[in-house]
Amino acid sequence: MKLDPSFIWTAFVQILSAIPTTLYITVVSVLAGFVIGIVVALIRIYRTPGLYPLAVGYVTFIRGTPMLTHLLLIYFGLPMIIDGLAVQFGWSFRSVSIPMIGFAYIAFSITAGAYMSEVVRSGLLAVDRGQIEAAHSIGMSTPQALRRIVFPQALAASLPNLSNSVIGMLHGSTLAFTVSVVDINAQAQIVASTNWKFFEAYLAAALIFWGLTFLIERATALIEKRINLYNRGGVA
Amino acid sequence: MIKLEHISKSFGRHQVLNNIDLKVSKGEVVVILGPSGSGKTTLLRCVNYLEKPSGGEISIGEFKLDCRHARKKDIHQLRQKTAMVFQQYNLFRHKTALENVMEGLLIVKKLPKEAAREKSIALLEKVGLGAKLDAYPSQLSGGQQQRVGIARALALEPEVILFDEPTSALDPELVGEVLEVIRKIAKEGITMIVVTHEMGFARDVANHVVFMDGGVIVEEGTPSEVFNHPREERTKQFLKRITPELNYSI
Ligand SMILES: Nc1ncnc2c1ncn2[C@@H]1O[C@H](COP(=O)(O)OP(=O)(O)OP(=O)(O)O)[C@@H](O)[C@H]1O
Ligand SMILES: [Mg+2]
Repeated sequence: MKLDPSFIWTAFVQILSAIPTTLYITVVSVLAGFVIGIVVALIRIYRTPGLYPLAVGYVTFIRGTPMLTHLLLIYFGLPMIIDGLAVQFGWSFRSVSIPMIGFAYIAFSITAGAYMSEVVRSGLLAVDRGQIEAAHSIGMSTPQALRRIVFPQALAASLPNLSNSVIGMLHGSTLAFTVSVVDINAQAQIVASTNWKFFEAYLAAALIFWGLTFLIERATALIEKRINLYNRGGVA
Repeated sequence: MIKLEHISKSFGRHQVLNNIDLKVSKGEVVVILGPSGSGKTTLLRCVNYLEKPSGGEISIGEFKLDCRHARKKDIHQLRQKTAMVFQQYNLFRHKTALENVMEGLLIVKKLPKEAAREKSIALLEKVGLGAKLDAYPSQLSGGQQQRVGIARALALEPEVILFDEPTSALDPELVGEVLEVIRKIAKEGITMIVVTHEMGFARDVANHVVFMDGGVIVEEGTPSEVFNHPREERTKQFLKRITPELNYSI
């Protein structure tokens, strides 16, 4: 079989329609994961009684198992739980009405939360203790100090790692095809299934992923430039 | 008036402050001296409640706080009445000089933005940094950073400002400018407690000198009492070590 360069372009155009699906999965899992990550990181740093072991257990389990496994566990496990509860409490809701992409959202948010909690945690730990002490010393409460002083600096410190997490989730979102979600990769497979030009189709998909990743990296660089203004002097 | 009564602090089994009593009158400058590890920093941090004392009472004017049963509200009030100037400056790194001074006025005192701005600019001019309003800490020298730190502390109009070795992280040629600012605000009648190893400064500016060692106040009095006629052997030895020139002048 010979390479068909023109089909790369044909496939490229046909795959474009799947970009939103991939972006939805990425954005939802990154945003939800970021919120989960902040909560888990704070629980771990402040060693909140009762929640601390749960947080540690969550992070070690999720990081110790593949992302595909999370998706499969949610896909097969969540309906059992939901339908079991529905029967018990007499709800009319059933798990079949959950769209397939919903399982990807939930599973990947859980995955992202564990990874991003580590990113957030190291960002928070990178902020000097003196910063929060200075905030306390002028009478700010701990939530005020975290919000106004610690988080902005932690965010700046963890930006490169956050960017890596976003890229990781973008690439990981391809696993959603296992629960019949048509993302970029799945679309490539569909496009090629009529003429078997899989190589051309997957090459087109690769170019799209590369482009998206490039955009994320550019955006990170821009944000970094803006919020790291205060490091201009380059001290410490 | 500020009154510390029976302040104690232990880290685990290690008792760092042992039953400290100290009175500071309004407008007074108290200098605390003592060897490394004697508990000077810990005492200041207790007054600002950055460290929770194991026991004792802190009163400032009518306000009184029992360290054993301090509630969040009390701690918040105490922190508004006290301000700390740190050895390592601890300026907010992501904020400009002006924003550093404004932060407490906006967030804690809830001043409108324009008023906070005006007041902060005036304070920065007072410490000689009117030209550096928009500089980030990383763009300032140590002496300039510390002067911003002093302006930040002044902004809240606390009852007392606590200085923990404000010049000991500075290059020698920058020490003078910071001491000058502290002198100036001392003259304005602002109450301060200053931990320092700058003996010349202590002699000039202090109304009251406290010598600490091993978590207790060994001796206290006027500068001339403590520096020229120390009663305790430990004070004499410390002074001899820290100001060798004293040997010749006596
Ligand atoms: N967070 C802490 N945990 C345990 N021990 C501490 C802590 N902070 C201070 N200490 C101990 O308390 C003692 C007094 O420390 P402190 O910093 O108050 O001394 P200092 O008089 O300020 O000394 P220096 O002149 O070196 O600054 C020291 O023995 C120190 O090791
Ligand atoms: Mg100290």
